[in-house]
Amino acid sequence: MTLRILEPGVQCTVQAAPRKGLRHAGVPASGPADPVSMALANRLVGKPSGAACLEIAFGPASFRAADAVQVAVTGAIADLQAGGLASPMHATLSIASGETLAIGPAHTGARLYLAVAGHLPAEDFLGSASTYLPARIGGREGRALQKGDVLQISAASPVPQLTTPEALKLPTAAAYALRVVAGPDMPDSADTFASAVFHVTPRLSRMGVEIDGDFPALGASSLRPSSAVFPGALQVTPQGRGFLLLPDGQTTGGYPHVLQVIRADRHLLGQLRPGDSVRFLLRTQAQAEEALLAKQALLQAWLPDFRL
Amino acid sequence: MTAPRFEVVACGDDALRILCGAGDIRHALAEHLSTFSGWTEIVPGKLDLTVGFDPHAERLGDAQVRLGVALQTLGATPPRGRRRHVLDAVFGGEAGPDLAALAARLGKTEEQIIHTLEHQTFRVDMLGFTPGFAYLTGLDSALVSERLANPRARVAAGSIGLITGQVGLYALEGPGGWPIVGRVLAPLFDRARTDPFLMAPGDEVVIRQAAPP
Repeated sequence: MTLRILEPGVQCTVQAAPRKGLRHAGVPASGPADPVSMALANRLVGKPSGAACLEIAFGPASFRAADAVQVAVTGAIADLQAGGLASPMHATLSIASGETLAIGPAHTGARLYLAVAGHLPAEDFLGSASTYLPARIGGREGRALQKGDVLQISAASPVPQLTTPEALKLPTAAAYALRVVAGPDMPDSADTFASAVFHVTPRLSRMGVEIDGDFPALGASSLRPSSAVFPGALQVTPQGRGFLLLPDGQTTGGYPHVLQVIRADRHLLGQLRPGDSVRFLLRTQAQAEEALLAKQALLQAWLPDFRL
Repeated sequence: MTAPRFEVVACGDDALRILCGAGDIRHALAEHLSTFSGWTEIVPGKLDLTVGFDPHAERLGDAQVRLGVALQTLGATPPRGRRRHVLDAVFGGEAGPDLAALAARLGKTEEQIIHTLEHQTFRVDMLGFTPGFAYLTGLDSALVSERLANPRARVAAGSIGLITGQVGLYALEGPGGWPIVGRVLAPLFDRARTDPFLMAPGDEVVIRQAAPP
């Protein structure tokens, strides 16, 4: 069976479980910017959390199925039409032969995940099928999917009709409170972070998100010899602009690493969109550990193979 | 003899940073720690080594204890033989669009700059920025060079960039802000290889002008 891309949205890439253990060679994790939403999409079509999915930035996007196929869409909130009928997100949908799945522009959030029952072809590279555009690796020829691309999907036995439990439909809001711990370069006078409200600028990609607001201007002397950085790092430039790193973010950097979004909340970064407001809630390491346990426990029953 | 003691700091809630300073100690530490399981990433920086751990498997405090124990046996891992790469390169022209301007600014000829580069042994200090991008140390400090005011959107794979004190080798085509003086001919990143990266931290590199065709 084939799925034809009629419209790919702002950017449509194949993403799967991230690359691991290669940051010393400059190879970032890649994988979904919002791994929880991707896991939820896969769950609805009976696939493992890290199975290859389509990640669609912002929409609108549409796809035509040559044969009947089951799909599910999660992530950023958008209107869906399957075969011309309004259809819910977070549910197993059946697309009839020759019909179209149309995803409207995202109202809130930035990235949608389209999971398809059956095997979605993707090029495995260094242990992952995830697309990393700067190196043109993974996914489909290492590139974003384009209008007219046709994906060959292997036939799948029918999966039961499912919907995501309400408690796991993470609210996709225009205002985020991200829990953070101090980064290795946090200045002593960092309590300003606790109360300030920041905003997401239009400079946003799978590499990172620029954050505007009242960051301390640390000056040129704050630049430091490059050290490892990871997704969730908030770097602050000498001019006082913030950059939050996403899964394709560079592996080392010389801007002060001021805050680190805690592991439990990193999945939210994939849904930040221009204009969203962001507050940073400074937490202790013990609180970060508790938060991870709590959110993991929330997800465990529905997504037993998923780790935040 | 007691093992050297290193300061270890948290790097967020799921990584630890060993403040070990510059030089070979980072590579020795990285090789040693790679013989242990449980470190999800082992990433050299300019002055440190950062390791990731799985926060689902252990708390940061426990990982810190485990790291301390591992560091005590640092001498137990014999150093990997230092690899040496001799890379043929072409300089100037389309392959090195900034060589002429650099030479003019330094009051040298292009040949003098090439000669200086050819007679140095570089060390791969770290890889980063993009896959396989190698930061080489050991550049003659007389070759003063700064980042381009306007980074290029596209730099060819294999390009040789110069920043005062450092050479940067672009393993992949991509954006780049370093002045480019030439291009090595061998692929630095080859997806057909099992280990697609030619360079590893700690390797020695010699760059020499390819014989004319």
